[in-house]
Amino acid sequence: MTHKAETMDPQGPPHVHHMDATTAYGAAKLGMWLFLATEILLFGGLFCAFALFRWTYLEEFHQASKHLNVWMGATNTVVLLISSYFAALAVDAAQHGNNKKIVTYLSITMLCAVGFLVIKYFEYSSKYHHGLSPLNVEFNSPEFNAAYKCFFGLYYCMTALHGLHVIFGMAILGWVISKARKNRFSERYYTPVEVGALYWHLVDLIWIYLFPLLYLVG
Amino acid sequence: MSTAASTAPEVKKNYLNDHTGIWSWIYTLDHKRIGIMYLVSLFTFFFIAGLIALTMRYELMHAGASGLLTPKQYNVAFTLHGAMMVFLFIVPGIPATLGNFLLPLMIGAKDVAFPRMNLLSYYIYIVGAIMALVALLNPIDTGWTFYTPYSIQTGQGVVLMTAAAFVLGFSSILTGLNFIVTIHKLRAPGMHWMRLPLFVWATYATAGIQVLATPVVGINLLLLIMERTMGIGIFDPKLGGDPVLFQHLFWFYSHPVVYIMILPAFGIIGEIIPVFSRKPIFGYKAVVIASFSLALLGFFVWAHHMFVSGISDFSAATFSIITFGVAIPTAVKVFNWVSTMYRGSIRLDTPMLYAISFIFIFMVAGTTGIYLATLGVDVFYHDTYFVVAHFHYTMQGGAVIGLIAGLHFWFPKMSGKMYNEHIAKIGFVLVFIGFNLTFIPQFVLGMHGMPRRYFDYPPEFESLHFVSTIGAFMNGLGYAMAIFNLALTGLFGKVKAPRNPYDSLSLEWQTDSPPIHDNFETTPIITEWTYGYGTPVRDGTHH
Amino acid sequence: MFRFLPEQASTFAADVDWIHNWITDISVFFTVAIFGAAILFAIIWRRREGKDHATPQILGDHKLEAIWTIVPTLICVFVAVKGLVSYQDMRTPPANTLDISVTAEQFNWSFEYPNGKKTTNDITVPVGHPVKFIMRSKDVIHSFFIPAMRVKKDVLPSMFTTLWFEPIKTGSYQGFCTEYCGAGHSAMLFKVNVVSDAEYDRWLTDDSTEFMKSKMNAEDLGRALYEQKTCNTCHSIDGSMRIGPSFAKLWNKKEKLVDGTEVLVDENYIESSIVNPNAQVVAGYAPIMPSFEGQLSVDEIKALIAFIKGLEKTEVAPVAAVQAVAVAPVDRSKLKPEERGKILSQEKLCISCHSIDGSKVIGPSFKGIYGRKGKLVGGADYEVTDEYIKESILNPMAKVVDGYAPAMPPYAGQLSDDDINDIIAYLKTVK
Repeated sequence: MTHKAETMDPQGPPHVHHMDATTAYGAAKLGMWLFLATEILLFGGLFCAFALFRWTYLEEFHQASKHLNVWMGATNTVVLLISSYFAALAVDAAQHGNNKKIVTYLSITMLCAVGFLVIKYFEYSSKYHHGLSPLNVEFNSPEFNAAYKCFFGLYYCMTALHGLHVIFGMAILGWVISKARKNRFSERYYTPVEVGALYWHLVDLIWIYLFPLLYLVG
Repeated sequence: MSTAASTAPEVKKNYLNDHTGIWSWIYTLDHKRIGIMYLVSLFTFFFIAGLIALTMRYELMHAGASGLLTPKQYNVAFTLHGAMMVFLFIVPGIPATLGNFLLPLMIGAKDVAFPRMNLLSYYIYIVGAIMALVALLNPIDTGWTFYTPYSIQTGQGVVLMTAAAFVLGFSSILTGLNFIVTIHKLRAPGMHWMRLPLFVWATYATAGIQVLATPVVGINLLLLIMERTMGIGIFDPKLGGDPVLFQHLFWFYSHPVVYIMILPAFGIIGEIIPVFSRKPIFGYKAVVIASFSLALLGFFVWAHHMFVSGISDFSAATFSIITFGVAIPTAVKVFNWVSTMYRGSIRLDTPMLYAISFIFIFMVAGTTGIYLATLGVDVFYHDTYFVVAHFHYTMQGGAVIGLIAGLHFWFPKMSGKMYNEHIAKIGFVLVFIGFNLTFIPQFVLGMHGMPRRYFDYPPEFESLHFVSTIGAFMNGLGYAMAIFNLALTGLFGKVKAPRNPYDSLSLEWQTDSPPIHDNFETTPIITEWTYGYGTPVRDGTHH
Repeated sequence: MFRFLPEQASTFAADVDWIHNWITDISVFFTVAIFGAAILFAIIWRRREGKDHATPQILGDHKLEAIWTIVPTLICVFVAVKGLVSYQDMRTPPANTLDISVTAEQFNWSFEYPNGKKTTNDITVPVGHPVKFIMRSKDVIHSFFIPAMRVKKDVLPSMFTTLWFEPIKTGSYQGFCTEYCGAGHSAMLFKVNVVSDAEYDRWLTDDSTEFMKSKMNAEDLGRALYEQKTCNTCHSIDGSMRIGPSFAKLWNKKEKLVDGTEVLVDENYIESSIVNPNAQVVAGYAPIMPSFEGQLSVDEIKALIAFIKGLEKTEVAPVAAVQAVAVAPVDRSKLKPEERGKILSQEKLCISCHSIDGSKVIGPSFKGIYGRKGKLVGGADYEVTDEYIKESILNPMAKVVDGYAPAMPPYAGQLSDDDINDIIAYLKTVK
């Protein structure tokens, strides 16, 4: 039932029985852009909630934000920007049919992603040591300032959801790397690279908004 | 005398019999089979939620407790009725069933853009449905709207039920995404935008809403789960949160969702009336523009559910004015449908009966919406039975009857068989009379000031409730009749359907009933407009 | 047509109803016209003899589209503006409103008037005078709705909301909670009584209660209160001895007190025994009567006095009683702790308020009490541990179980630590 028709071209677009190759490429890109739109709306709700509570509890949010390590946040921003840069390079390499470079560049992107998560881990554990995480008893006691709790609640929601998307992105890029290692891509077909990189750029973009909002503006 | 050994006539291969066995259905990538699977799942939940409604109506038949339900059980009942009907039936609704089946056929494609994602959407729906069923073990009593702070405090099932709704949202998002890409990329040669059937336009507008609105309710439900499990203090006033924020985030999705429910139904009516009047749809462009206006405006009216919830007077005024905006496109559509019938050649088969009744029902639905948009009057009607009647007219009378109409219309195409018209018509009469008998008394109850979600009520409301209950049982009987007629005919019926029993010009009717796996023998090339019925008039323009 | 709105009881009602009826007229007109047209077309142009007849390929008409877009738009604009104006009125209270504070909770409404008067589930307002409600919820979102006044507003726990109206005719009107709030949502009703100015003034300063409204005579009211306020648990009316002195033939009796002095049972003595009971205790009785200060109005106290007076004259049937238990003397040192505890519970009359069979008397039943968990008045959790029992005995007002009155007297100074441990041992056995 599944169409495993042989392609004449092992590096060409896969055979899809209901669409030709050009249409399939266009469809994949349109599909990914639509998906990115849904992601933006998903985080949009959180940004709205944050804006509302910051307006209500401006002073407390400022103070709470000071507990966040700006340097770690800034480093993470740079790390993600570098990762995105290499993802873009990977697409360029794909357009020239260079599978080896795809592997190299996307591996650097993956490394950056791991770095991001490691720094995130350090941030979260430092919060834990200061009794500022939901796993701490102090955080859940009634004496903990309600507005602070709100700030941190939103902080964890937003950064954890973003972190989850980093992991999803890593899974997608990991899959692309495994395909590239088998020389799957060429100038005629590199849709997964492009679409995967697009997703990664969104993950980066969301962080670009999160960082100033949570760490700088507070 | 016949000579050669005659071989048994070969059964023509179609999508239903070309691959057999349960696994060929479970792993199918065929949009038609996926549509059928959705149909079976959705109607299972429709009947369960419908039975719950009948239990509620039984309880409400007389004032005082009937002994059947405690107040808490009643509250659980209306919560489950609403949640199941909305999330498990009407939201997937027409797009998942008829949309899946018809969209590629109507545009001349072999399948949707992403068939594997289509199957994934279905299984995500099943996972969400199972989660909702498991949540029944700890039944929630918050109402399907999960308003805080009550939903933060009450019972254990809230987290699982909201998680189920979250999962179901993904099914909706992926379906919408799939449809948009399909419409953009997979139209057959000659199927220009302005030749598209109205059902396709409706599906497009709906898909846009599915993609853009659903994530917002997703995040809202996620935040509610966080609030309950971690106490982050975002909605709970005891922790400095704002319970009205929940309402804003909730209705930001839940108003557009009603357009997800109704736009495809409008599309179906726009298909049925021209075919059964043998006339082009009157004002094709106007209807298309009206669909998109409705989809767009629908994003800006959410707080009309919140006029008395403590929002500012300026907000209330703004939302009221924009809400009036959504009345206009709807009215335009109704006028266009009726004008289509003018000087037509009207066939009163079952689909057309449903379509004509839809006109009445939607006039009531739409005009009762006007009361609710009007600020001074909404203050009186908000949270009364008037609202309950209004949304049942739009959702049940509109979306569900649209779906039933469409199922009757495309039944020959989907099953290759013809159903019994007499039984179908009796079902229609029961549905129509039962439905109006159920909900017109509820408008009157609202006028008397009866609040909603009431287990018990002052005795002066009893006679209206009694009549409403009678209507509800009639309504249920009608649906059972209509749907079982179709289901049993589909499984066991003998009367074969011709390719195009209603002489439609639309593309899906130009192929076999039921269609082959790839829909068309060869890719069709379109040279005509879908609605070219009738004799050209001197000043008519051709598409 | 379809004019089933409630009576018009406020200044808003006429406007709201006018808009409502205007919408109804237009809606009915258009629905009949359009659906009528559809039916008409279906009849006139029905397919005949199973064959389609020729149909013209009419594609549209820009002029018609314009008309039926513009006309509905104009209608909508008109209705929208009317609605806005009516709403604006509802949101603009005049300066001279009577302000009533409203507290909503699961599942009742409490009201407080400017002079401090409190009512539950019931408001009385003067006709022709604007009244404003300042509302807050104690728990979840409720909504305050009076159909006859055409007003409604949600009542939130996170902020105050307000609502005003001016009643235009006297009468009694139903109010509802109309935002789903839990199991008691449909029971959360209230009444709005609109009365004349004079009647309102009289009502405002009258501090009698629901009972007075029922217009019972004082003696009957007193009897009702005797049962409702559970005086009957401790005071019989047939002369039999219970925890407190019997009310039979009590009036004008000369009672001997614990300190040796004598007192005449008159109006003042009865009142002081109700509000400050342990100041003048009759000899032979324990100083354990709880105070009813703040729980009975002067009129109710008068009714009780009338009831007690009446007991001199008539033979009355005994009302349900809790018998005091006579305790036989025994050498307690030979008993187990729980046996000693049981004796103490009878001797110290704990069982006059706490049953051992699960029934609710004045205090929580002792049956299954050890280890019990629940909520206190105020919402905090409690668990019946040794410490909790000790605290309840020595300082019972510190933690009062939700649903019970703060009526238990303290036993600090009356029981030793050993006594308390014995009681705890006994309570563990009461299952």
